[in-house]
Amino acid sequence: MGSRLMSVVGTPVGRGAVPGFWRRLRYRARISMREPTTLLGILVALLFAYLIIVPIASLLVDAGRVQFGDERRIGAAPGEWTLYYISRALFSPVAGNLFWAPLFNTLSVAIGAITISLAIGGPLAWLVSRTDMFARRWFATALIVPFMLPAWTFALAWTTLFKNRSVGGQLGWFEAMGFAPPDWLAYGQVPITIILALNYIPFFILLFGNALRRFDSQLEDSARMLGARSSTVAFRIIGPMMLPALMSAIILAFAKCIGEFGVPYVLGLPVNYDLLATGLYRSISSRQTGVAAVLAAAIMLIGVISLLIDARLVREARKFVTVGAKGAMSRKSALGPLRVPATAFAALIFLVSVGLPLLTLSLSTIMRVPANFAWSNFTLDYWIGTDLETVALRTGILLSPSLWSAAWNTLTIVGTASICSGLLGLLVGYVVVRTPVRPLAGFLRQVTFLPYLVPGIAFAAAYLSLFAVQRGPIPALYGTAAILLLALVADQMPYASRAGISAMMQLGKDPEEAAQISGAGWLRRMAWIVVPVQKGALVTGILLPFISGIKGLSLFVILAVPATDVLTTYSLRLVDYNYTQAANAVVLIIAAIAYFGTLLAQKLTKTNLADGLGT
Amino acid sequence: MPAITLYGAEKNYGGNAANAVSNLDLEIDDGEFMCLLGPSGCGKTTTLRMIAGLEHLSDGRIAVGERVVDCVSSGTFVSPEKRGMGLVFQSYALWPHMTVERNTDFGLRLRKVPRAEREARVARVMETLGIEKYRDRYPSQLSGGQQQRVALARMLAVNPDVLLLDEPLSNLDARLRLEMRAELKRLHEEFRTTIVFVTHDQWEAMTLATSIAVMNEGTLQQRGTPNDIYDRPANRFVAEFVGSPPINIIEMAAGSPLAASARTYFTRHFPALDGIGSVGMRPEALAIAATAEDVPSGAFGEEATVSGVLPTGGSWIIELQCKGAKLFLTTHLAPHVEDGDGVQVYIRPEALHVFDDQGNRHGKADDMLGTGAGAKARKTVQPMHA
Repeated sequence: MGSRLMSVVGTPVGRGAVPGFWRRLRYRARISMREPTTLLGILVALLFAYLIIVPIASLLVDAGRVQFGDERRIGAAPGEWTLYYISRALFSPVAGNLFWAPLFNTLSVAIGAITISLAIGGPLAWLVSRTDMFARRWFATALIVPFMLPAWTFALAWTTLFKNRSVGGQLGWFEAMGFAPPDWLAYGQVPITIILALNYIPFFILLFGNALRRFDSQLEDSARMLGARSSTVAFRIIGPMMLPALMSAIILAFAKCIGEFGVPYVLGLPVNYDLLATGLYRSISSRQTGVAAVLAAAIMLIGVISLLIDARLVREARKFVTVGAKGAMSRKSALGPLRVPATAFAALIFLVSVGLPLLTLSLSTIMRVPANFAWSNFTLDYWIGTDLETVALRTGILLSPSLWSAAWNTLTIVGTASICSGLLGLLVGYVVVRTPVRPLAGFLRQVTFLPYLVPGIAFAAAYLSLFAVQRGPIPALYGTAAILLLALVADQMPYASRAGISAMMQLGKDPEEAAQISGAGWLRRMAWIVVPVQKGALVTGILLPFISGIKGLSLFVILAVPATDVLTTYSLRLVDYNYTQAANAVVLIIAAIAYFGTLLAQKLTKTNLADGLGT
Repeated sequence: MPAITLYGAEKNYGGNAANAVSNLDLEIDDGEFMCLLGPSGCGKTTTLRMIAGLEHLSDGRIAVGERVVDCVSSGTFVSPEKRGMGLVFQSYALWPHMTVERNTDFGLRLRKVPRAEREARVARVMETLGIEKYRDRYPSQLSGGQQQRVALARMLAVNPDVLLLDEPLSNLDARLRLEMRAELKRLHEEFRTTIVFVTHDQWEAMTLATSIAVMNEGTLQQRGTPNDIYDRPANRFVAEFVGSPPINIIEMAAGSPLAASARTYFTRHFPALDGIGSVGMRPEALAIAATAEDVPSGAFGEEATVSGVLPTGGSWIIELQCKGAKLFLTTHLAPHVEDGDGVQVYIRPEALHVFDDQGNRHGKADDMLGTGAGAKARKTVQPMHA
């Protein structure tokens, strides 16, 4: 047999002659480079290194080097290393205002908001997933509506109701009705906490509810069969198994809270109640680049730490998932006499977290004077009126060219960025799943996930730090749509790449390999198999970032200039100018786009938002 | 001229993991229906994918006919699309966005086969496999068996020299599986293609293959015809893997009463035989007799107690307690015994499988016992009541 083998294979290298290290390496290199996958992967990796790692690094470096304009104060030339900003932000007499107070405020708001939303969202999660509450399915969707809307929509609704005379402009409804809300109720910690709490309830309904839904009733039954009482079952079986999911929801809400900008901007600034995000914004607008960098780094650090903890918990949770996957049963508990009160509770929360705010905002846009419900007070002027008696904005919002230019900017900038990130996400997914060079796959996976750890406001600061001036061949991009575009793409990559990776994982290798066996080369396989099959995933990969981009605020508020005004910044400026009705109208437009866009995405992909969040 | 030659083929997925395939030498002849058989994780699918070119080698060489398609030392690698093979995946891997017809003519379109010929060939393959009425359906509208046929049709349409099948029947129900088995055999006879078939199902391998390669932990255990594999297992692994209920093994080193009894038997009848590590007895080679006198002379017999009679429909499995060991016996004749009956269990020497201390087949024992005449030996075993 041996001699026959020799003659067939030809070369005289016997089995004993193990090819050397270099020959192996050459073989491997040839295998890796045989297809453009790896080459493309390397190009994409370089792109993301530049779009994601370099800005963050540049920001961190900024925190440690003398910035232009500070040379006299610090007594060193620009660019030299210094601890000045760190000590100024953390230890100087102004450190309290710059860093510690915002940090303390952020933490107390976060803890308060999470406690409230946990206390409300936890029971709701159970009610909508494991009980026979009335209209359970309807509530399951209705209660997560706040998740689809920008958080500061609710902040604006709050000011519409509770605004007092501390700030100029139109009065709040209560003030107008003769009851003056005190400052603590109108602004600062209390409303911020409440608004964020209402906004995070869906988090618990989605994440915690999902875990509850997957919980196998048979595990409960087994304990019962062995003689455990309901309380024992709750504390010894369900509780420990649900803990990772619960913790995960808490930490994700916390990470989101850290980067929250819109709500504290609307509700905190009037009384100088700063969170880290608004503090960072203040530092940037007062051109304290170094201190801003320190603040951004701190936000990033908190974000990274909390998400690392989350990753650990998710891993912990995964240990539980495999248990009892087969023939799992999910049984609904009968609420009995509590059925009506439970439904009333869910309805109340829906009313407070969705119904009232949206109703208030809507009404406010068609009322001349707040809280006057006389028929004559209602008007459509703020939407479609002409020749109004205002200083600027003399037409209804729908007739104002600024709205349409902002809408156009939103569409083009966010749209282009979303298409780019959708395509890049699919490409990343393809490379990650297919390349034989595993380190490349690992790098791509991690680098595209990195922006997730960095709250938008810190990320925007990083972009500002990198692209504000000319660097090498790249001109200064500040003030252009390009910087927004790049930042948006980078910011959306965690979602886009995850969507791409999971889509490619789901597709598996087989269909493509089958085409390969049939004789299709790489380009053919892409054009005939991969892209057509992934059409749906691609649409979602574009649509979902588009929706989050439209309601996103923190990137734009730092990187946009009037020429690149988008809907969010436009409405925020209207808030600043106290055009309450117009501002509310724009926010409603954004909310409507976000809401119907999400519905459209769900319809197109036949998925449910609730399922996509678990990862 | 072998169709495919693997020479020292090795696959390591990196890290400290053991080789998925180690130092594999295998020739697959032209027109052969070769089964790669082994438990899951034994490297059989990896071997198939290496032949297809979907996995590259860590070491060694693969040639298809005269042509070297993969060789680590010379750095040759022919990509899968240029190897001209067909592969049917376990998952079928039909393209969900194409109709049955488009799935089937995909390869022909790629090869720019003229339309008339393409349609004729597709029609013929679809007719052969009985899927012509589904030509405009999408894969999601087909049942598992129909999908399987489309996957097969897709590969047969381009008329490949080598057809690789990766457990294509494992997702089908028992009846369909039987039908598809017959169909595969018919297709092999009709198209005369070289087929390499991966399976962990021994019956599938036995019924289909002209040749079986048994693999375990990445190494080739034995290659031979189905009867070779069953009647002359090269080692303990093959003997125990093939056959259901599994072969009864007596560990000689264990010092159990049954082992001692076997030792006495060998010393008396085959004094020159040494180095016996274990002895295997196929369940159907065991027979029972009422008394010691009824045991044929020269056979290895022992007292045993019936501890279970399990009908399997048309045949029976009899569980016996024999000197502290549990033995399984199968018979196609209705047994006249029940639980607790004392019987004599015996086996003829030529039906014994003797393995050495390393677990390899004991060549000398084969000669002395007259084992391995294969099916012939089994047929000559006389019915117990004769």
